[in-house]
Amino acid sequence: MYSLDYHGDSISIQIQLSSTPAPKIRSCHHVKMQPLLRYWAAGSIRYDKAYKIQKVLAARHQTQKAQNVILLVQHPPVYTIGIRTNPYPFDEEERLRRLGADFHRTNRGGLITFHGPGQLVAYPIVNLKELNLGVRSYVCLIEKAVMRTCRHFGVDSVRTSMEPNETGVWVNNAKICAIGVHASRFITSHGLALNCNTELSWYRHIVPCGLVGKEVTSLTKLLGQNVTVQQVAPVLVRAFCDELNCTASNFTHEEQQEILKEIL
Amino acid sequence: MVVCSVVVRRLLAAAPAAPRHVFTGLRWVTSTPVKFTDRKYTDKHEWVQVEGKIGTIGITHYAQDALGDVVYAQLPDPGQEFSQMDECGALESVKAASELYCPVSGKIVSKNTEVEDTPGLINKSCYEKGQLLLTAHS
Repeated sequence: MYSLDYHGDSISIQIQLSSTPAPKIRSCHHVKMQPLLRYWAAGSIRYDKAYKIQKVLAARHQTQKAQNVILLVQHPPVYTIGIRTNPYPFDEEERLRRLGADFHRTNRGGLITFHGPGQLVAYPIVNLKELNLGVRSYVCLIEKAVMRTCRHFGVDSVRTSMEPNETGVWVNNAKICAIGVHASRFITSHGLALNCNTELSWYRHIVPCGLVGKEVTSLTKLLGQNVTVQQVAPVLVRAFCDELNCTASNFTHEEQQEILKEIL
Repeated sequence: MVVCSVVVRRLLAAAPAAPRHVFTGLRWVTSTPVKFTDRKYTDKHEWVQVEGKIGTIGITHYAQDALGDVVYAQLPDPGQEFSQMDECGALESVKAASELYCPVSGKIVSKNTEVEDTPGLINKSCYEKGQLLLTAHS
């Protein structure tokens, strides 16, 4: 039995050993090891810095250092858009910057969204060909992992939608998690944003994901008690591992430093 | 576009009987008896159909199914030049932007503006009305 605990910027794993004696091995069968999902809880970092980290991790998939990594962060307030740029001309960008937020134009799918403190942002940088996933089934897998996570905290009425513009995780008419990804040469980037105790008033200044008349919500708002990113992150990692049939493995401090040096 | 004309010469030289595999730099699924308008496929699920100097490019049925409903096509403008397997655009579906790769080297002659207006054509008719681009090899 193991448990994952998130403390600030790191996750520790505690392993509890069984007290019963180990059985005698009568025969040895070849057991296929589950592939690893490396997780990196990088704390609160700026959007552009996180994107540079993603690019380094993605580039590594073309080398001997290829591995599937999920990067977990929070961002200072920022609005981001995807490849459909027409609805967001420069004066729209200026308007949002004047509110005190950053603004980024990205190469992901999806329309405008907000990232900020209290929101768990997860960027899985994985090889879809290796995982035998198409883009549609990958996005579906993200939705399932998020729904598992929400149910763990007692939010049972999570749902998804079949409408192509309503991708994400919903509770009734309110979106709790936005999704927007990019796939290039089978390697994914960008990911999901799950509201834990996000300040939701930031969303009032945009039409989130271009969907008029829909609301946003958070785990804290639904449960009436404070749910933090630190509490949710290890649950999300475990949910991804369950969906991907992978084993979680911490990205070591040395590995993190190696990447951070590359983006200086 | 040198690769394709070399391919065509090899096909002409070959006995056009049973299907055989030929390595050309594009991964072939099969090669059937000589037809100029056979589609060639990449491992990223684009197809190209060459007639003379002009190549028509699209994505396969497998690709459109794996993407889901396409809601946006970001296609390169005429005049832009690409090398084989350069990223040349993107298709968006289910909040996922998937890169498009140019299966052949050349210059874009035209893009299918119908697909920009009605991206669903890519799902409904990926080999016909949902074609994406025309290129000319240099």
